[in-house]
Amino acid sequence: MSMVPNTDRIKRMADNLASMEPVKGRSLWQDAMHRFLQNKAAVTSVIVLTLVVLFSLIGPYFAVWTNEEIDWSRIGKAAELGAPSIANGHFFGIDNLGRDLYSRVIQGTQVSLMVGLIGAGIAVIVGTLYGATAGYFGGRVDSVMMRLVDILMSIPYMFVLILLLVVFGRSLQMLFVGIGLISWLDMSRIVRGQTLSIKNKEFVEAAVATGVPSFTIIVRHIVPNLMGVVVVYATLLVPGMIITESFISFLGLGVQEPNTSWGALISEGAGTIAYGTIWQLLVPLFFFVITLFSFFFIGDGLRDALDPKDR
Amino acid sequence: MLSFIIRRLGIAIPTLLILVIFSFSMMHLAPGGPFTSERPLPPQVLANIEAKYGLDQPVYVQMGNYIWGIVTEFDFGPSFRFKDRTVNDVIAQGFPVTLTYGFWSFVVAVGVGVTLGAAAAIYHNSWLDYLAVGISIGAQVLPNFVMAPILVLTLTLWLGLLPGGGWNGGQWQYLIMPVIALSTSYMASIARITRSSMLEVLNSNFIRTARAKGLSNSRIIIKHALKPTMLPVISYLGPAFVGMVTGSVVIDLYFSTGGIGQMFVNSALSRDYSVMMGITILMGSLVIIFNMIVDILYAWIDPKIRL
Repeated sequence: MSMVPNTDRIKRMADNLASMEPVKGRSLWQDAMHRFLQNKAAVTSVIVLTLVVLFSLIGPYFAVWTNEEIDWSRIGKAAELGAPSIANGHFFGIDNLGRDLYSRVIQGTQVSLMVGLIGAGIAVIVGTLYGATAGYFGGRVDSVMMRLVDILMSIPYMFVLILLLVVFGRSLQMLFVGIGLISWLDMSRIVRGQTLSIKNKEFVEAAVATGVPSFTIIVRHIVPNLMGVVVVYATLLVPGMIITESFISFLGLGVQEPNTSWGALISEGAGTIAYGTIWQLLVPLFFFVITLFSFFFIGDGLRDALDPKDR
Repeated sequence: MLSFIIRRLGIAIPTLLILVIFSFSMMHLAPGGPFTSERPLPPQVLANIEAKYGLDQPVYVQMGNYIWGIVTEFDFGPSFRFKDRTVNDVIAQGFPVTLTYGFWSFVVAVGVGVTLGAAAAIYHNSWLDYLAVGISIGAQVLPNFVMAPILVLTLTLWLGLLPGGGWNGGQWQYLIMPVIALSTSYMASIARITRSSMLEVLNSNFIRTARAKGLSNSRIIIKHALKPTMLPVISYLGPAFVGMVTGSVVIDLYFSTGGIGQMFVNSALSRDYSVMMGITILMGSLVIIFNMIVDILYAWIDPKIRL
C-alpha cells in the first residue's frame, strides 16, 4: 500500500469529467410538458380535439351537398330516405328541411368552436388584466373592483343575456358581446388571488425599487408569472362558453338560421326524435360530447402538469 | 353574527338595485313603446293612454314608481303584448310549477350528491368510488339541454314508461324527467366536491384521534367528519341554485311544463319586455336572497368567515 493515491484512477476520473457534457437544465415549461405527455387521457384528448378541428376545416372539401342546398327528392321523407349513407352523399343523413346534416354539422362545429375560443379569449385578456390590477394595487382599489365582480356574479346572467339579445337583436356578434361581458368574472377572481401572492416576491420589489411604472410591472412581471393558472383555467373556460352558447341556441334565442351551432342542431334533433330521425340528435350530440370531454381532460392534464403540488 | 348579516345585506341590496336599473334601462333602449302598433293611434288617444300608464313622465320617475310598486304591493305592472293580463298573472300561473320541480331537483341534487360523494370517500378505491367518479365525469358533459332529449328518447320513446311532456297538475309521472334532467349535472358536481372534501377530512389529524379513541366508524363520520365536509358543498350551493334557476328555462321549454321559463322564452320571442323584466327581476332576487342565506349559513357553521 503506497501513500501515493492511485493516480491512474484519478486521471480516468478527470478524463471522464472533462468529456462529460454540461448538465442540461430543464425549464418549468419543459417539465410541465413532460408531465402532460405522461397523462394518457389528456394526450388522447388533444388528438380527438385536433381531429374535430381538422374535420371542421377540411370537412367541407369532402361534402357532396352544401349546407344550404335542399335535397328535394328526400324532403319530407327524412325518416325513410334521409338516414346517413355514403351512397347518396349525405354522410350524416339529412335534417328536417332536407338539408345535408354533414355540412350543417361542419358549420355548427365552426360556430361553436369559435364562440368557445373567442369567449375564452376575452375572458383571458380582460380577466387577467382586471384581476392583476386589483390584486397589485390592493387596498381600496381592490375592494371596490372585487365588490363589483361579486355583484355581477350574483346576477343570473342567462336572463340578462337573453334580455340583451332580445333588445339589441339576435345576432352572432351580440352573442359574442354578451358572452364576453360575463366570461371574465371568474378569471379575474382567480388571477387576483395569484397576484396577491406574487406581488410580494423579490423581483417585483426590485422592479419597484428601480422605478418601473405600475402598469409595466403588471404586464411585464406579474402577468407572465400567472400564465400557468391562466392557461389551465382558459382551457376549462372554452367548454363553459360552448355550453352557454348551446344553451341559448337550444332555446332558439342564439344563432339564427341559416347559421347554426351545436346547440341549435341538438335543439332541432331533439324536436324530431319522435319521427324516427334519431341521427339528427345523435350526430351533433356526439361532436358536442367528445369536444367537451376533450377540453375537460386537457384542462385537468394541464392542471396536474403545471401545478404538481395540487394533485 | 349580526354585523355579518348587516354587511351581507349591504351587498345584496345594491345588487338588486343594479339588476332592476339595468333591466329597466334595457327596456327603455328597446325600439318601440308598448302601444306602437301597425295602425297608429290618434295622437290624443295615445297621449291619454300613456298618461294612464305614467309613460309621459321622465324615465327616473317611471323607474321609481316601478320599484315602489314592486316593494310595496309586489306589482310588476301590465304586460306589453297582452292588454288583458298583468305580469303578476303570468308569474302566478308559471311560478308554482317551476317552484315544484325546482324544489325536488334541488333536494335530489343535494341528497343524492352528498350521499354518493360521502360513500365514495368512505369506500375509497372500491367499485362504488369508481362508479361515483365515473358518473361525475360523465355528467360534466350532460347539461340539462342534453339530458332532456336523451331522457325522452329512452324513457318515453324506447321504453314507453313516462309521458314525454306536460304537467298535469304535477303528478309524479310528469315530475320525474324534469327533475332528473335538471338535477343530474349539479348532483354530479356535488358528489365530486363531497368526495374530495370528505377524503381530505378523513385523512386529517382529528379523525385519527377519534379513531385512536376507539370511536365507531359511523359515529366518527356522522359526528366528526360530516360537518367540515359540508363547507365546500355549501359554498357550491349558490352557483348550483343559479344553474337550476337558469336551467328551468330549458326544462319548461322542452317538457312543456308551463313554468316560468316557458313564459320567459315566449315573451322573449314576442318581445314582451315587461314580462321579461318582471321574470328577470323575480329570478334575480330569488338568486340574490338565496346566496345571502347560503353565506350566512356558511358563516354560522364556520366562525372563521365572520372575522
